[in-house]
This record gives sequence, C-alpha cells and structure tokens, in this order.
Amino acid sequence: MPCSDPISDGYRRCVATFRLQGSRVLAVDMSGDAVKAKNGSMVAYDGQMAFKKMTGGGEGVRGMVTRRLTGEQMTVMEVKGHGTCWFADRATEINLVSLHGEKLFVEAGNLLCTDAGLRTGTHFTGVRGASQGNGLFTTTVEGSGQAAIMSEGPAVVLRVSRQYPLTVDPGAYVAHQGDLRQNLQSGVTFRTLLGEGGGEAFQIRFEGEGLVYVQPSERTTIAGDV
Amino acid sequence: MNPAGNPSMPAGAPAPLDPMSLPSDDSVNAYTFCVELRGSQWFLQKGKMIAYYGSIEFNGIGHGRLDRLVRTSFHSPLHASDWVVAEGQGKMLLADRAFDVNSYDLEDGNLTIRSGNLLAFQPTLALKQSIVPGFLTLIGTGKFVAASNGPVVFMEPPIRVDPQALVGWADCPSPCHHYDHGYLTGVIGGVRALTGIGGTSGEEHQFEFVGAGTVLLQSSEALMAEQATGALPQQAGVPGGQGAPGQHGQRGQQPGQPRLPGQLGDLQRRFGL
Repeated sequence: MPCSDPISDGYRRCVATFRLQGSRVLAVDMSGDAVKAKNGSMVAYDGQMAFKKMTGGGEGVRGMVTRRLTGEQMTVMEVKGHGTCWFADRATEINLVSLHGEKLFVEAGNLLCTDAGLRTGTHFTGVRGASQGNGLFTTTVEGSGQAAIMSEGPAVVLRVSRQYPLTVDPGAYVAHQGDLRQNLQSGVTFRTLLGEGGGEAFQIRFEGEGLVYVQPSERTTIAGDV
Repeated sequence: MNPAGNPSMPAGAPAPLDPMSLPSDDSVNAYTFCVELRGSQWFLQKGKMIAYYGSIEFNGIGHGRLDRLVRTSFHSPLHASDWVVAEGQGKMLLADRAFDVNSYDLEDGNLTIRSGNLLAFQPTLALKQSIVPGFLTLIGTGKFVAASNGPVVFMEPPIRVDPQALVGWADCPSPCHHYDHGYLTGVIGGVRALTGIGGTSGEEHQFEFVGAGTVLLQSSEALMAEQATGALPQQAGVPGGQGAPGQHGQRGQQPGQPRLPGQLGDLQRRFGL
C-alpha cells in the first residue's frame, strides 16, 4: 500500500504516505523508507521501526552550527522501517502540506514531520522574528514530498495574491509557502506608550503569491500586550 | 481529491481561503470568526485579531476620534483599556486561544455574559457593566462574538448551573446563588463544613435561574481569563463596590476585609457554626 506513487518512467518510488487520523494524530505508512520527525513525537507504531536521533536535524555540521547560533533549534529523529507509525504532540492540530519543489517556511516548534527527502534549513526573517519572541530566524522545508505542521487549533489557510495582500498577527502566524515578501508593520505610536494602543502594534504584512497558515490562538509575544 | 487549482493542498486539508471565499460576519470554522468591514466599525477585545485582508485600523477606545461612538455604545469605562475599535475596509479573522467561537444575533434584546468570554460586538449594541460583578450586558440589536471552552449549550430556565460552566444568560431576571443546605446541616455537616473531613462533592453551590429566558453554558468548567474590570464606583448600594462599609447587615465582618459574595463563611454564620 505505501508504494503507491507510480513514476512515469515505470519505476515505483517508495515514499512514505502521510495521512491524518482524526485531526491530531498523523499516521505515516512506510515501506523501508524514512521520515524526519520531532524528537519524541511517536505515539505508536506497528511493524518494524528504527528511531535514530539526528544530531543537528540531519543538516550536517554547518546546519547544526547555524541552528545553534540562530536559536532556531529542532531536535529531530529519523524514523525508518516497514509499517505504520503514528505521531502526535500535545494534542495540537496537524496540517498536511504537499510540496512540489517549493519552499515552506515554518517555525521550528511547529514542524512535526517531513519526508526524509525534504531538505530543512534555516532562513533569516529579519525583525519579524524578534517581535514574535522566537528569534530572527525561521525553518525552511524544501523539495518534493509531504510535511506535517502543527498548530494550536485548526489552522486557517489564507491565500495571498497580488491584489489581496494579507496582514497577520505575529502570534498567530504558523507557516507560509510560495513567493511571498513579508515585512513588519509597526503601529506603535505615542498612544501605545500611554497604554491606549490598538492592541495590534506589530503585524506582518505578506505580499506576493502564496499561502499563509494562521492558528486561532496567539502565542505570547513581546508585542502581545501593546 | 485535490481542490481545483490547489496542487499543493493534500486531500482532506482545508482549502485555502481568500477575501472572496471567506464568509462575511460568519464562522470560518469552530474556532475562527470572520468579520467583514465596509467602512463600518466593530468593537473587539485587544489582541484577538489574528489576520486581515484590506486596510483596517485598530484604535484604542481612548482615541479622540471615537468619542461619539464610545459615548453611544460603550458604557463600561472600566473596561476601556481592554477594548479597541476596528475600522476600515476588508475582512478580519478573530480567534481566542483556540477556544470555540460563536456569533449571536440580538434583536432588541439583552444578554449578560462573563467579561472574559466576549470577543467582539457591533456598535449597534450597547455594552454595559452588569450589576453582577465580572459580567457585561449587551443591549440592543446587532451581532456579537463570544468564546467558550467547548461548544455552547442553550438551556431554558428554571435551571441550576455550575458557576464555572456559566457563560451568560439572556432575558433572565433572576440570577441568584443556590446552596444545598441539607449537606451542611446536622453534626456531621458541621464537622464537614469546619474541617473538610468527609469531603465534599464540589457541587454544593450553584447559580439558579428562573423565569423566561435562555441560559448559555459551556461544555467544560475551564474559565476564560477574567478581564480586568477595574474598581467599581465607591457608592452605597453597588454590589462589590465596598462603598459605605458597615451600613447594612455587615455586622460581625471585619471592616476593610473583602469578602466574596456567597462565601462559605456566610453559610457557617447562617447555621450558627
């Protein structure tokens, strides 16, 4: 069953298939292939599985150093075997994303599982990260395959197009993909200092073409109270 | 299985939404509500906006330009620092800590709600502080959005409800406390009340509603974070206002010591314990 991805040249490539069981448990069917998952997120498996911690998220020494330096740390394990493995983390909602060569930007803490074939890395996001309280960097996932991202409450997927730019609260931002430019908008005025601000002093504005995932909940951010 | 035009969305995933497909003043899913602004205004609790399309401005209640609006529909000066006015063109998503979010329509009606549960309302409604401390009353015609932990259940009075499950009530004239007195009478009951030995079921105290109306309950006993309600007017006759101490029936209470209404101490005094 897992080998259901026929490639046009006649080969059948074995790719782990991701499916959601309910909205909070991810089931991955594997037949000898591997996935990368957040350390400790396995809740059950059947068949033969080997779990191996991947130091530095499988990004090599350079990636490891980058992650250490940028604070965008992930502890990742490689799961390899035959059978089905179930993943879940703190009963958060799980969203599946299929990538076809494009790049997915996601906060390290929101990434649950990716195909082993997807490359992960770190990306400089600028001041936005600072307002979010989780550093200046974000994690990228690149390649072809599936990834599972987590959100507190089911994520809402919003399309950004040329005529409809989107503004997002940094605390509710989970991930985005596509060709998007982001910039931080600050509405800090003298009123904010007087404690009469609009409550939304920092916002991220997305322009271009792509998708943005937001969660119906706000992380505690530096900008949360102004 | 893939929705047309969304090659990157796997089967079963929610389709991406844009300003065209987002609902207008309706729920996106159980946890997210979408408000459409066409030059109109909405009151919302600070920090509950998660995303918006278009150009929307958020201003604190104290903003001078909003003076008129605030005068006509915001009668809770003590909550002013928790609320903002959204104004502009576009669609805005509201959510709160992944709690269930629902919208309700009032038609020339009134509804009282726990202050932490109210997320947003149309300025056609007037927001007033309830006489019951910690609650807010909405009066008029319009739409408002409220959050609850788990879906909201509507009940008809007469009914007794658990204090933690109460979200609010509409049209009910008689919210009051109810105690299971039988539980605390007699020698065993006295010992239980004084020492806690024998244990309690935790359900000796309820809120009681009678009359015509609707009571809103949430399906869990987790409370929303209470919004700061500020100090009440220092005036005699204002519940919780602590005005004019020692005036009516407060004999035996140490002056200056705040006491919760319906605290067990009252009961013990009632039974001569």
